[in-house]
Amino acid sequence: MNSQNSEKALQEQLTQLPKEMTPERELWSGIEKAIQHNNQLNTTISSHRPAIPMAWAASVIAAVLLTWGVISPQQQQLQTPVSLVSAMQQDFEQQKQTMLVSFGQPKISALSVDMQKQLAELLSARQAIEKALVDDPNSSDLLNILRWTQKQELDLIKQLYSPQWQSI
Amino acid sequence: MDKSKVIDAQNLFVADTEQEWIVRAKQGDQQAFHCLYENYHRRIYALCWRMLADKESAEDVCQEVFVQLWQKIENFRGESKFSTWLHSVATNIVLGHLRKHKNWLQRVFSIEDQTIQDIPVEMVDNTELSALDKQIARLPERARCVFVLFAVEGYRHEEIANMLGMAVGSSKSQYHRAKSLLQQWVTL
Repeated sequence: MNSQNSEKALQEQLTQLPKEMTPERELWSGIEKAIQHNNQLNTTISSHRPAIPMAWAASVIAAVLLTWGVISPQQQQLQTPVSLVSAMQQDFEQQKQTMLVSFGQPKISALSVDMQKQLAELLSARQAIEKALVDDPNSSDLLNILRWTQKQELDLIKQLYSPQWQSI
Repeated sequence: MDKSKVIDAQNLFVADTEQEWIVRAKQGDQQAFHCLYENYHRRIYALCWRMLADKESAEDVCQEVFVQLWQKIENFRGESKFSTWLHSVATNIVLGHLRKHKNWLQRVFSIEDQTIQDIPVEMVDNTELSALDKQIARLPERARCVFVLFAVEGYRHEEIANMLGMAVGSSKSQYHRAKSLLQQWVTL
């Protein structure tokens, strides 16, 4: 078939393409639950509004204390890049642990093979970067990549275990 | 009786009813919002399915579109048709979903998914899917998105380039790539 005919055939199929498709799963009940959940959340937030500045203040104080703790004169050995890497690792492990606890300590082995593979890829990438940092502790590029990889791992965990609309 | 006037009256009635649902949904009326859902969810699901080529993801994203629509509906000011506005909201959510679920390796190294898929087993026997939909699902991700947005949804290449963060020329070349692949497949 020549190209004019094949273009015509495609055009014909395009004009006949259905505008609508019906999902197999019933979707409304999940949407309704999510809407109600959001509405409740909004009500709770507005009735507890004073708690938000408090939480912000607490976070700022915690951040200041943490920064001061890391760079205080008593702990000057932490300023060397190698220690910076271990501080980053510690901070990351702490965040990861807190996140996993908040999701009820889920088992990684229960995840799909694809997701397990992605987590394993991130872990091995992180280990490779950490190894490279031992040889080149002053590389800001490596430090940035390490921070980025850690963030990806946290994002992936969050994405995997955050409640989905349909399960709310 | 003048037939064109009858059709106009019918369209006006539909538009009025829809307008009423929108106003009521903006005021927090879930029943009116359900009517909008009933009216549009099949069209939005079709958009999600074609862009994502995956039933489960399309269903999840379709739900997300309507949850976000509930939160954003007060932003609809009637400057365009509601269906046009809803499709642009849905398109942004689908593209956000694709970005979020991109493999981290693809994100770091900007690896483009060039693979042409086999038609998944679940689709082969699915008589509800049109032959073209089965072939669209086989296209590589970027080419598929551009094709659906341009040829099915009617966006211009400038708009697509803006939405997908690519050059206008790339949008055009992805479209031609998709089109030539589909032309080969539909005539087999």
